[in-house]
Amino acid sequence: MVFITGPLFSGKKEYAKALMHWNEQELETYAIWDVQKLAAGCQDLPALAQKLASYQVVIAVEVGGGVVPTDPTERAQREAAGRLACLLAQRADKVVRVFCGIPTVLKGEEPV
Amino acid sequence: MMTLVIGGAASGKSEFAETRVLESGEGPRYYVATMQPFDKECLARIHRHRQMREKKQFQTIECYVNLSSVTLPEKGTVLLECMSNLVANEMYSPEGAGANAIEAILQGIDHLRAQCKNLVIVSNEVFSGGTAYQGDTLSYLKTLALVNRALAAEADEVYEIVCSLPVCHKGKEATL
Repeated sequence: MVFITGPLFSGKKEYAKALMHWNEQELETYAIWDVQKLAAGCQDLPALAQKLASYQVVIAVEVGGGVVPTDPTERAQREAAGRLACLLAQRADKVVRVFCGIPTVLKGEEPV
Repeated sequence: MMTLVIGGAASGKSEFAETRVLESGEGPRYYVATMQPFDKECLARIHRHRQMREKKQFQTIECYVNLSSVTLPEKGTVLLECMSNLVANEMYSPEGAGANAIEAILQGIDHLRAQCKNLVIVSNEVFSGGTAYQGDTLSYLKTLALVNRALAAEADEVYEIVCSLPVCHKGKEATL
């Protein structure tokens, strides 16, 4: 599994398509994105990470960069999103952060 | 030669960009200022940046919208700051390009590039603070992100500034 993360609107799905030589339909079939939303309220993050790892590509938005939210629910969601991202990165063969459309490989082999 | 410098608030991106301009050594130096001074806070920020640039001999050109209207007297080095202001002005200012903000900005950048040897663009990293955005804020973020990505694709060098230190994403120091 390839785990792709990065800021909002940084070009993560575009990068996934380019990396895997996929069209839009293949992306929708073999990849899952916005998984940070699935972390919200999830009781068993390792199980969720395990389930997500069956996809070829898992994409999450980095959401931990702002001010700590005052709302407890938002705070818990952000915390869960970060933990899930760590669990996914552990399970991934390759982790890529896309910043401003440019990929940086954080784990695994660099693209040839 | 085009360089894109991106960083969060108070990350030191302006100072890094100014240093890049000085290192390029190709004068004259122009500073294209995009911030419309709405209040005291803006004026204080402008004052701080003007002081930083004073000794570096920049000629300041104010341009809040429509970069395509800028004419540079000579071919030199241009520092444009900040793309986040320009995008907001183009989208929401009565004189701005509105729905055509992206096209207007990218055309304006081409227009500047044709008139200079080096162009350094400063933009803002505002995309890591969550996804709970709606309406105008969401469309602003999307637009700024698309402009940033289009510029990054065109640029020879792309730097992310993290607490005053550059992370090179593209260019001679990049690892990829």
